[in-house]
Amino acid sequence: MTRELDAGALELGGGLEVLLAASIDPMQPGARLLVRTPSRATAYELHGWARRAGHRAVAERLPDGGPYELEIERGAHRGVLADPLPARASGPKPADGRMRTSELRWQAEVPASTPASCGFAPLGSIPELGAPRFDWTLNDRDRIWADDVAELVDQAGAAQWDAASAVPWDAALELPEFMERAVSQVMTFIAQNEYAALYVPARFLPGVNPAFPEMVMWLSRHVHDEARHIEVFTKRSLIGGQASYSLASTELSLHSLLEEHDFSGCALLLNVLGEGTFLDLLQFVDQHAPDAATRAAAALAHRDEVRHVHFGISHVRRRIALDPAERAALVAVAERRASKLTQMSGLSPLLVEGLTIMAAGSLQPAELSHGADAVKGLMKTMETNRLKRLAAAGFDPQTAQYLSDLHTPNLM
Amino acid sequence: MSRRGAELRIGAVSYHPRVVTIWEKFIEHFEHSAVPIDYILYSNYPRLVSAVLDGDVEIGWNTNTAFVELEQQLGEQAPILGMRDIDAEYATVIITRRGEGFEQAGQLSGRRLALGSRDSGHAAILPLYYLRQQGFDAETGCELIRFDTDIGKHGDTGDSELRVVRAIALGEADAGAIGEPTLAAFRGERLAELADIEVSWRSPTYYHCNFTALPTLDRELTQRWSEALLAMSYDDPQMRPAMTLEGVKQWLPGDRSGYEALADAMRQTLP
Repeated sequence: MTRELDAGALELGGGLEVLLAASIDPMQPGARLLVRTPSRATAYELHGWARRAGHRAVAERLPDGGPYELEIERGAHRGVLADPLPARASGPKPADGRMRTSELRWQAEVPASTPASCGFAPLGSIPELGAPRFDWTLNDRDRIWADDVAELVDQAGAAQWDAASAVPWDAALELPEFMERAVSQVMTFIAQNEYAALYVPARFLPGVNPAFPEMVMWLSRHVHDEARHIEVFTKRSLIGGQASYSLASTELSLHSLLEEHDFSGCALLLNVLGEGTFLDLLQFVDQHAPDAATRAAAALAHRDEVRHVHFGISHVRRRIALDPAERAALVAVAERRASKLTQMSGLSPLLVEGLTIMAAGSLQPAELSHGADAVKGLMKTMETNRLKRLAAAGFDPQTAQYLSDLHTPNLM
Repeated sequence: MSRRGAELRIGAVSYHPRVVTIWEKFIEHFEHSAVPIDYILYSNYPRLVSAVLDGDVEIGWNTNTAFVELEQQLGEQAPILGMRDIDAEYATVIITRRGEGFEQAGQLSGRRLALGSRDSGHAAILPLYYLRQQGFDAETGCELIRFDTDIGKHGDTGDSELRVVRAIALGEADAGAIGEPTLAAFRGERLAELADIEVSWRSPTYYHCNFTALPTLDRELTQRWSEALLAMSYDDPQMRPAMTLEGVKQWLPGDRSGYEALADAMRQTLP
């Protein structure tokens, strides 16, 4: 059967090629399309278009004055080297006008594993053959997954903030010198640690198989959050004009963190233990900082870190539940790191001083004593909460205590 | 399989760096087909023709002009082992600015006609020949504007045809001859100069490139090689990119019926 197509005034290069492709591509090989055009020039030129597109002009009628006709037989090759697209079906349904990330899986479960060679094929798409082979390293769902990762992606997307404007920067100006020195040191310490919090997930990101878009989005947002934390704490440390130290002990701790290459191991060390402990630190800064800018920076970063810690707990709990042997493997990860940090003894005195002065609000002895008590309280709170998080992640009390004791004195 | 141990050496002309990409991929295909080949590139067709005649290569990937030259020098028929689908229905078109077209060849009289390289069958030799067949001698009736670029490559680079299009677009020529596939490719690339250019004349179809051997080449070997060539599939993801570069979607068996016009034209114009 021959289909007919009236080209009207359309010309090749002016849209006719789109109409032709839309008409002929869905046809069976060998089927014919009769194209009618009032332009003899177009009729002539259709031969070349057909051949270039892999079809054949099989008949031509060029009566004086037109209209002119060319009959094109569809070629046998496939335009795209893949199975034909399936018929249109229903897609995911937004609820309350929101399209949630979990809806990506409205049709099928998350696959347990996916070939390391697959390409950047968005969910639901049909990959064309002939693409180069990739070699992703994170291809097994259970090595990276958290059951609520899709919800965390949405929360992260909704909770973005702008470090340039979300902080009342003017409030940070003109602190007394002793206080600015204390605040700047604490800010530098936090920013230093936020670098590691960025580099760790960033390093896993390009290994994630693209068939797990939730993980790609989660790690990207994690990285983006940390970039903003680096930004906000660096800005706060600079704004008062007071330089401070990036401490070698902190570098040692973070260096050992970057030496861990297992995804779950990093989830434990960074998300559960490191960022978990930082939650308490940030809350402390939010409570005690002398200016609204520092308080706001800490509060905003805290909001983001809650998500990261939640992911870590959720991931580790899932991993241990699926494979109880993983618990011992994770303990070994913590032991391995601790063995590299034996030269460290407690939190850096400079940081303790900074936090104490911040909590004291002055250099008066009575108030300094009060500040020192607050810092002691912080250390106690950090340990209590660390144990709670480790329990939530699936560790028994004894193991949780052991892991907490192994945790870096640097906090992250 | 070492390439030095290849059963057949294919000669081709390096009209563009992509020729290497094409043949490195084609080598894989023939190796899988158990007819291992090697390829040797020449910078121009006259040298390739000599290489085939001298036995430096067993098969030449020739333009129609090179093929006709080869047979004229050989003095007998040379076996054709295959060609592209696009070679079996080649045509030349004469393009003009929109609204300045012509109905009959004779209406070109007095106009400036641009042609591609003078050794190009499709962009120079055949348009003049077919116009003459239709009763119009463009060499005396038109002011010919020749773009003799890349002589020796028989128009393969497309450069002279691009100059033809530009000359018309700029008003430096009134009409110009280019290959029909060249026009389709330019359109596909959205060449801006084509915006107000249309086809006024289309030649009869003829054959273009082919794989040529000497009659002395082992018949069983040529048969096996032709079969391997024809088995190359555009639906094979490994071969599609190279076939796209070569402008072929399907290889066709050799056939000699489409070269008469060019042979006739070359007898008339060449000494």
